[in-house]
Amino acid sequence: MSEIFIKIAAALTLSASPLVAQLIAPPAEPNAPITPLVKSDPKNIYSSVVRIEAATQVPDYTTPWSAGRFSGGIGTGFIIGENQILTNAHVVSNARRLLVTMHGSARKHPAKIKYIAHDCDLALLELEDFKPFAHLQHLEIGDMPKLEDQVRVIGYPVGGDRISITRGVVSRIDFRPYSHSQVDSHLVVQIDAAINPGNSGGPVLQDGKVVGVAFQGLRSADNTGYIIPTPVIERFLTDIKTGSYDHYVELGLVDFPLHNPAMRRKFNLKADDPGVLVAAVTPDGSCEGILEVGDILVAIDGNQVDSAGNILISGEKVNLNEIAERKFDGDEVKLSILRNGQAMEKTIVLKPFPPARMYAATYDQQPLFTTFSGLVFQPLNLNLYAASKFSNARLRRLYARYIDEAIFKERKDIVVLTRILNDPINAHLGSHAGLAVESINGEKVRDIEHAHQLLHPAEMPEFFIIKCEGNPRPIIIPGDEAAEASQRTLTRYGVSKSHNLKH
Amino acid sequence: MKIFSIITKSTLCSALTISMVASTLSLSAQSPEKSVIRINSTSQTYNNWQPWDKNAPSTTRALGAVLDGKQILTTAELAADAVNIELESIDGTRTVPAKVVAVDYQANLALLEAEGSEAESFTADLVPLQTNGPAKIGDQLEIWQVEDNGMPLITKGNVQSVDIVSSFAPGGYFLTYEAKASMQSASSSFSLPVVREGKLLGILTSYNSKDQIVDVIAPEIVKSFLEDAADGEYLGFPSLGIAANLTVDPSFRKWLKLPDDAGGLYISRILKGSAAENAGLQKNDVITAINGHQIGRRGYYQDDTYGQLYWSHLIRGSNKIGDTIKIDIMRDGKPMQVDAKLKMASERLIPRETFGEAPNYLVKGGFIFQELTQGYLSGFGKDWQNKAPIDLLDALDSPEDYEENRNRIVILSATIPTPATTGYESLRNLIVNKVNGVKIADLKSLAEAFQKPDSDGIHTIEFLGGRPETIYLDASYSDEVDAQLIQRGIPKLSRF
Repeated sequence: MSEIFIKIAAALTLSASPLVAQLIAPPAEPNAPITPLVKSDPKNIYSSVVRIEAATQVPDYTTPWSAGRFSGGIGTGFIIGENQILTNAHVVSNARRLLVTMHGSARKHPAKIKYIAHDCDLALLELEDFKPFAHLQHLEIGDMPKLEDQVRVIGYPVGGDRISITRGVVSRIDFRPYSHSQVDSHLVVQIDAAINPGNSGGPVLQDGKVVGVAFQGLRSADNTGYIIPTPVIERFLTDIKTGSYDHYVELGLVDFPLHNPAMRRKFNLKADDPGVLVAAVTPDGSCEGILEVGDILVAIDGNQVDSAGNILISGEKVNLNEIAERKFDGDEVKLSILRNGQAMEKTIVLKPFPPARMYAATYDQQPLFTTFSGLVFQPLNLNLYAASKFSNARLRRLYARYIDEAIFKERKDIVVLTRILNDPINAHLGSHAGLAVESINGEKVRDIEHAHQLLHPAEMPEFFIIKCEGNPRPIIIPGDEAAEASQRTLTRYGVSKSHNLKH
Repeated sequence: MKIFSIITKSTLCSALTISMVASTLSLSAQSPEKSVIRINSTSQTYNNWQPWDKNAPSTTRALGAVLDGKQILTTAELAADAVNIELESIDGTRTVPAKVVAVDYQANLALLEAEGSEAESFTADLVPLQTNGPAKIGDQLEIWQVEDNGMPLITKGNVQSVDIVSSFAPGGYFLTYEAKASMQSASSSFSLPVVREGKLLGILTSYNSKDQIVDVIAPEIVKSFLEDAADGEYLGFPSLGIAANLTVDPSFRKWLKLPDDAGGLYISRILKGSAAENAGLQKNDVITAINGHQIGRRGYYQDDTYGQLYWSHLIRGSNKIGDTIKIDIMRDGKPMQVDAKLKMASERLIPRETFGEAPNYLVKGGFIFQELTQGYLSGFGKDWQNKAPIDLLDALDSPEDYEENRNRIVILSATIPTPATTGYESLRNLIVNKVNGVKIADLKSLAEAFQKPDSDGIHTIEFLGGRPETIYLDASYSDEVDAQLIQRGIPKLSRF
């Protein structure tokens, strides 16, 4: 097996759905007649915009051992450098095979992912053989577009096989959620050109330069397309220069507005004094040990923070947390604070915060799980949470408070007993499905691997005692029957592998 | 859960039903005209979000059975949150106000009495129904309805099964007859008397029109209720105060060291202050018998009258508060016996039912504080178990994690935008932990804590897991706001 194939297999596993569903755009309509292009050499630009065909395999979190659903989709990408094709992460997520087609050609060229950033929905592909593309123009990344600027969107949307061009005007610039990861928000430019399924990953051009990547639409509104603007693209391209994508970094603090008169009086603030209250400091986050709850954050990197937690960046009022948007792992941020009335200067070193990814959609990974006597255990994350209908209040609370209450420090995973494959050994345990596992044989469960170890000890105990949160009645599995029951249930239910503990 | 599809409007009456009534009438030793009365109950619940307000009233028309002493038996559901109850003669010509003598929301029974100057003349002609003893499965019973014109409408049915069912208040599981009967719409078709051989058997609590099954509160429960109410001071049904699991699972039995020939009920939780706690019962104990009745693996015992019945009937069906029961248990494989003196169900951290009770609240500067109840949570709609705030649902599910130093869970339920609460408008449904340094056990302690702001005149309020956890409120400012809120129509700033 070639090295390339292995890399793809390891890196991509799951895609939420064909990208048609990912791209929440209005239903496909034939686009408005293509207006003649005024730019010189439009053909060159067209040629640099490629069609990407992804064959995907999407894991099913309700049966984590299964191969998942085989599917696929079409997207767009464009050449920005020597063997560098930029596209959306969601176009290539969970892909098992990627084929790239040039404008005006029928030949399909195999490609693979070089870097993928799910948090900002961007990916950089490389072709197995770039030679056929070597003569093509590299599109240049331009500046941030302004309101009312006219832009062109080029891509391969549904409604035909050939390239399609739409035009639009920049109608809004805002911070908005990126639906691919479901948890991250970054700068977004809204345009009034139709962006349809298949447009994803395509360049948005102004004066021949790329000012954005088309990536999502709005189902409830017509002619609303969203593009990933230059600053986000630039950040991605800078980040990967280290040889890997390091993820966005977070300040790791929760601010609370200081509007209340009693609160202002308590902190000895005059009516027009700047500063916002530090309401919570994320455990293990960039600010932990440096900021304290009750500090007043007065300025960040020299930008004055107002009482609502906003700062002014290039003429725009934005929340102070957005200072981290343009920074990288290891960057420093200077904080001016008031603590008990004392002015202090603090410096924090920004870092990504992996525990928060529990709330982000996972792609390109087979779900982790283990089985034991017909009981299926999985670590809790957004994919599992979305695929299941958990009703237990304690489980839902653990999910909701995983970060706030630093649960992740003691339990990297909230291990859930997700399913019971009925067997005589577990015939009376139905009410335990959907509960969080607290301990196995008296030991608190830290993560899925730990749970697996506890369930498969070197020496069989007389009984396995599994305690679930929210049901005081423990699960009891006799040690001498466990191994046989495990084997029996795996065979009977066609569970092809008993566990998957590492991505 | 109620399934009741009988229309209570008084418009439906067909020739067919009247002719049928005529044929069934002669079979009854007694007929509805003299022993049944109409009840019109107007109830009004409190507004969950603005607890000083009441919601729009609604009226339910029902029937009641006339008993000795001219007392009227009906369901508690009818009397719940009632602001006005009147009795109406069967022919609809006379009405008289009534009061609730005793009510048990758990058992879903209420006893009413006519009051006022006309009470005596109103009830003079009524003929009390005698109460009947237990029926057997297969016995015939009659469900009494009355047409709008006063004509009786009697439906016959047969007892099909006997079970422990909750008909109204959450957790109120009591002996219930289930009978097959095909009923029709008639006026006041709510809380219908069910009669056997001319004597009152029980009260109908629900009718499932699809399966044509009626649920009837069993005569034992009616009898206990009436006996308890007879002295004018109603105490309620006794409680043991445990949460239990089955012991069917052979692996679980092995671990519990239960012999193969025994049954057993696993105690998974002992409620604080309960009879079980006083008797020294512990979590992980297994109850094998109550008063000599062996308890099976699924929690059933062999009842002399009904056959297999759920164990809880041994507690509630045949005992009074203060009675002592003998409980055989297995503890760590060894048999033991304990005596448990039954008592009233202990107060819960989050009350399950608050019918007829005005919710406790306190308004401070625009903050609305309330004591958390299950009723508050169910106010989040049909899907409240998913929609209500997760922290509050967790407290409902696992009160033992919140009980320390608390009688009730006090929450900041909502924030009225006022000058004192500027910046706090988004705060709601937060559990209050401390105010001015004092741990909050209930609304009373909250009110006391608000008496002591710090020397700068600032209240410090700490929440459980809030972001921020601590906020501040200007004492004199909030007092001013409170005065304005009264002017703006909040009738009272607190009730507890």
